[in-house]
Amino acid sequence: MSTIPRISSAIVGQAEDFASVTAHAPDMIARFFDLYAEFWQRGVVGAEIKEMTRLRNARITDCGY
Amino acid sequence: MSLITPQPAASELEGILKHRPELLEKYRTFYLSFWHDGLVPRRVLELCRRRVAHIQGCEAELALSDPQTRLSPAEETALAQGDFASFSAAEQSALVLAESMPNGVHYISDEEVKRAARELGEPACVALLTALSFMDVNCRLKIVLGADVAPGSLHDDILN
Repeated sequence: MSTIPRISSAIVGQAEDFASVTAHAPDMIARFFDLYAEFWQRGVVGAEIKEMTRLRNARITDCGY
Repeated sequence: MSLITPQPAASELEGILKHRPELLEKYRTFYLSFWHDGLVPRRVLELCRRRVAHIQGCEAELALSDPQTRLSPAEETALAQGDFASFSAAEQSALVLAESMPNGVHYISDEEVKRAARELGEPACVALLTALSFMDVNCRLKIVLGADVAPGSLHDDILN
């Protein structure tokens, strides 16, 4: 795991973060956010269960972000 | 055989995911973008897709092939064995990332990412890393949902 940016920011004047790095592929990331929003905002699984499993998955994957 | 009753669809997996048709459509649109946007060479994507499927032992994913990417029997064997020496430098840089994405994402080094960015370009590297994550997701979905193992064309139906 690295704590330094591995890919430069694609947005002039903005530091490297998830948004500025993924902006290298803007169409792709727009579709990703469209999918992710669908997953979170609709469906029969409650928000509490989704959030609980998201946090548990992040802990298992050791993803501090 | 899936434990979830599929809806009528082109494939069993699509039938299962049709319980959430909006989610299926957005997933398909997103996943297809890797293959259609041209950022990552299609052959690189196919090599990585098959390597991830080998690592996950996902027979349903391995049963698919991309008709636009003809891999030789020797290349198939090399992928199955994780022997990347015969592939180009750019392909190797991608396959090294594919090797760690399913089970060792924390062990991907700065240099491995930088090498892929050098070989493919930064936009392609971003697209590749995202694609690898979802190639892994595809395998996990197929395994956990119990997708049928049936030969098919990746081009015709990405979620076949």
